[in-house]
Amino acid sequence: MLEIESLVVAAGNFRLRDVSLMVAPGECHAVLGPSGSGKTTLLEAVLGLLTPEKGCIRLAGTDLTRLPIEQRGLGYVPQQLGLFPHLSVRDNLAYSARARGIPQAKFQPLLKQLVEAAGLGNLLDRFPATLSGGERQRVGLVRALVSQPRLVLLDEPFAALNENLRRELWWLLREWQRERQLTILLVTHDLAEAYFLAEQVTVLLDGRVAQQGHKAEVYAYPATAEVARFLGVETLQPGRVVSVRDGLATVEVGSVQLTALAPQDLGEDVLVSIRGEDVILQSARGAPTSARNVLVARVVGIRPATPLWCVELDAGFPLLALVTRPAAEEIGLSPGAVVVACIKAPSVHLIGRSAPPRSLALGSASSLSPVPAARDSAARR
Amino acid sequence: MNLRRSTIAAAISVLILYGGLLASLGCFLDGAAVWQAARSERTWSAVRLSVGAATLAATLAVALAAPAAYALSRYPFRGRELVDTLLEFPIIVSPAALGAMLLIFFNTSAGDWIQEHLLQFVFSFAGVVLAQFVTVLGVAVRVLKASFDAVPIELETVARTLGATPRYAWFTITLPLARRGLMAAFILAWAKALGEFGATITVAGTMPMRTETLPVAVFLRLASADLEGTVALILVLVTIGFAALYVTRRLLGRAVDA
Repeated sequence: MLEIESLVVAAGNFRLRDVSLMVAPGECHAVLGPSGSGKTTLLEAVLGLLTPEKGCIRLAGTDLTRLPIEQRGLGYVPQQLGLFPHLSVRDNLAYSARARGIPQAKFQPLLKQLVEAAGLGNLLDRFPATLSGGERQRVGLVRALVSQPRLVLLDEPFAALNENLRRELWWLLREWQRERQLTILLVTHDLAEAYFLAEQVTVLLDGRVAQQGHKAEVYAYPATAEVARFLGVETLQPGRVVSVRDGLATVEVGSVQLTALAPQDLGEDVLVSIRGEDVILQSARGAPTSARNVLVARVVGIRPATPLWCVELDAGFPLLALVTRPAAEEIGLSPGAVVVACIKAPSVHLIGRSAPPRSLALGSASSLSPVPAARDSAARR
Repeated sequence: MNLRRSTIAAAISVLILYGGLLASLGCFLDGAAVWQAARSERTWSAVRLSVGAATLAATLAVALAAPAAYALSRYPFRGRELVDTLLEFPIIVSPAALGAMLLIFFNTSAGDWIQEHLLQFVFSFAGVVLAQFVTVLGVAVRVLKASFDAVPIELETVARTLGATPRYAWFTITLPLARRGLMAAFILAWAKALGEFGATITVAGTMPMRTETLPVAVFLRLASADLEGTVALILVLVTIGFAALYVTRRLLGRAVDA
């Protein structure tokens, strides 16, 4: 288990402030954040390249803070992979065994197993420069895993690959992670990558933890406007809570009122966050729906994209919906058309505008949820 | 004139300059003088001394420059800027002044003690090596630093996560990847040491068969107005220099490509 506790690290003018996170054994934890948010600084502190000013890093109960890199038991795959260009694939893979003085007979079985699983058998005598991007990636992963690390650190290792190859390697890594119960700390700015590979995520913004929790929870219920923006929430509009009754809040947004799950400790002024895929569009003559929020909306614009189309709506406030191409064609979406937009109450997430950021407890995912009732609802969905 | 033509013209002018200088030797080339110089034991002694001292000085310079350049490339430490600036010292100060400074040092009590208890430098072969070593060290460090700068730190970090100690990572990753720089530093230091004159003559003097290197021999022939002899020795110096550089490049180049 990796435990990072109240970590303060300086890197030039940048400072990572009071960062805490926990990665359970056999779990993949993603650290998400835009460029300059402190992801690399955090990784460098775990690696041992930066010495923390405060706080500590423990791995399986051992304090790593003052331990040399080679004694930390880490496997590291950087963005550029760090393959040794002057060594063959075979020598790259055997490097850890040689560096640690492990006899061939002891590490060969695992190496053989991983080489076969990664399909590297016929590449062993090649040099990194002669490999394709995907092959290099596999060599980087196998080399990190063959040293049997207690923690694998991945620094955006798939960033340079095309979409197909990236997804192929996501599957491979997820399979290995589950089969071998790898404990992984993944640093990425790619939400899709984090969502696919990790269970728990930490969002870092400006050197601080902005939100932590299960990926579905963080995705659906961003704790602050900044997190919502970073996670690409399609609709983020100011609103005012006009009443709260039976756990439901009525919120005035633009010229309409929406029903949302009522969070605790929220002021009157809120930001209304709605994911595009949670907006169900129907034709004006569509069948009745059980959704709490049924809005008559006019199509302002359509932006065809893959895999979903983005539909700009005027529903009394600017609303964005994501629909599949067949759905858009079935409804007959076109600019100026009038449609019905249905949004379930749990999908209307309220973010306090004046409330201070929620305090985050180390490793306690349940305490991180901004909306407990909504979390339960999300779990049921 | 476009950029391509003007840059090629500049390159050709370099050839004309050095080629012209070499061609001018032909005006005073005397076959008998060359033959005599080639057969002279004194010439061969100067050749042995020059090649031996240059090889030793370049080897020592690269051996010290490699770790020093690595420190300058990787670690922030007190005095780093000063060391970096002092690398230019042998270039700024003339070789004769550098030699004079060495002589002055050996006249201090510390220098005296070294000469008495460790090694005699003044007017000796060791003095030739020392003068050349001091002259070429800065260049070797400068070339090697650029070479280490080009090796990504990330590779060393990965090596360390794979269990390598800093020393093991240096010998197995950094040094092999900087081998072109090592080769360049050695060749440059060796060539510079072979042609070194000012510091050598100041520290080691001009004793035939003992401290007389080829450049010193050239100077002595010229000082005695023996132009044919001078040309003959220059040709020996140029031939040895080019031949040695060619062989070194071939040998080390093969090692680099392997």
